[in-house]
Amino acid sequence: MNKEVLSGSELQKKQRISQEDIKRAEDRRHVKRHRDERRPIMLFWVLLGPGILVMLGENDGPSMISYATTGATYGIGFFLPFILLTFAMAYVVQEMTVRLGAVTKKGHAELISERFGKFWGWFAMGDLALGNLLTLVTEFIAIRAGLGFFHVPAALSVLGAFLLIVGAVATQRYWTWERVVLSFAIFNLIFIPVALMTHPVTTDVVKAFFTWGPLPGGMNAAFMLLIMSNIGATVTPWMLFFQQSAIVDKGLTSKDITHGRIDTALGALLAAVAAIATLLATVPLFTHHVNASNFQGADFAQALIPHVGNIGASLFALGLFEAGIVAALTISLSSAYAFSEVSGRSASINSPIKENAYFYIFLLAAAGIAALLVLIPHAPLVMITLLVNVIAVLAMPPAILFLLLLVNDKEIMGEHANRALGNVFGIGVTIFLILAGLTYGMLTCFPHLLPTS
Amino acid sequence: MRHTDSPSCSSSNANHAWVHEVLEPEQLSSMKLKFGRRKLAPPTLALLWILRLYVLLMILLIGYQAWSAFHPKS
Repeated sequence: MNKEVLSGSELQKKQRISQEDIKRAEDRRHVKRHRDERRPIMLFWVLLGPGILVMLGENDGPSMISYATTGATYGIGFFLPFILLTFAMAYVVQEMTVRLGAVTKKGHAELISERFGKFWGWFAMGDLALGNLLTLVTEFIAIRAGLGFFHVPAALSVLGAFLLIVGAVATQRYWTWERVVLSFAIFNLIFIPVALMTHPVTTDVVKAFFTWGPLPGGMNAAFMLLIMSNIGATVTPWMLFFQQSAIVDKGLTSKDITHGRIDTALGALLAAVAAIATLLATVPLFTHHVNASNFQGADFAQALIPHVGNIGASLFALGLFEAGIVAALTISLSSAYAFSEVSGRSASINSPIKENAYFYIFLLAAAGIAALLVLIPHAPLVMITLLVNVIAVLAMPPAILFLLLLVNDKEIMGEHANRALGNVFGIGVTIFLILAGLTYGMLTCFPHLLPTS
Repeated sequence: MRHTDSPSCSSSNANHAWVHEVLEPEQLSSMKLKFGRRKLAPPTLALLWILRLYVLLMILLIGYQAWSAFHPKS
């Protein structure tokens, strides 16, 4: 790698320390101590975060609704192994962002801007900002729906969620923010007890993983849309931007890549288990022929009461709230990271508000606008929810192309650039996602291309 | 090619030797690496534009679809 070599004294003069650096150094001091003292579990504890957050963050409101719809429409069968496959794809894509962040110490939007010019940087940022704003709206819809099950007024749920976002970033500390969000994210697994309450037939579940079946109704438009929706629920552009920037903000270096990979793999595994649990939780609706195709928000929790009781339904509604709040926290941060990176500002939650006001203003403005949109009477919320996954899947091919270009760039990645096998997987996933995006887009616009039943 | 930014931040490093011990130089906000602009090969550039147009076109189509849903033909 090319690097300008500075003498010791020149280097000392240039190295000025900011508050952001001090906070990051405090975190890194723990990493150094645990590494020096050879304490692997503690080392992993301090290094984990971005991978788990990005994967559980993507198990957001619309995603959980998508898994619930899948379970209620198709029961136990094809979609169980398919969900595992989508999370394997998510791992392949996200692992590249771990390396990019740890090696270059730059966020995704910043790297695109620097390597390919501001023009492409702002384009990528534009896609992300639009997609994130719409997605944030759906997260507030999920929050409202989840708490609505407990008769919490809509305005109160939305305001409470917004204040939680404000509170988390007001810490002005990446570590604190990360741990707060992780403590919420772990409740994504709340769908597991709901699934167990439905008493799924173990042999059917195991059989589905080996046979990729059954698939009631075969291939039709509804099936294809659920396929794409499940992909859209697993691999989306904000994930690329968020994880790479979070890796940089956390201060991970090339020495931490292995831990970053384990963090991402663990996140993918936890998210896949939660997604499969959500699907299994709604299988009784399939068994009892309940038409869930137009279910929104807490309708699933309501419909599940006869099968899992009030406790199970309440857990399902709480899970929906959790999915919305974790995604709102992570997605609003990903927007602020990208905006600051493209506009040449510091993109760090470690930076003090008075020194980096734009970062916080953008973050809270993104969340605030979405929160307000949800409260507008007669706003087309259902339409927005439907559009979110479409736009996410459509915006993915250009985002992945940039990712592949960057991760193969030996000038910036050196020995950590993609190798042949990495490219086989990376390009394979890219082609699959491009085809999926095309199909999803075409079927959304021209729903009669495939038979409807 | 990489080079480093000029200094921009507040305090001197005199009292913060420990920071230099735990952070790599380019992790400091004043020492961020700058990667030069990379020239994109014409086929790559073409592919980027095709994907860009594809996204714009599909968003327009979806916008039309959404508009149609709100204004059904009588």
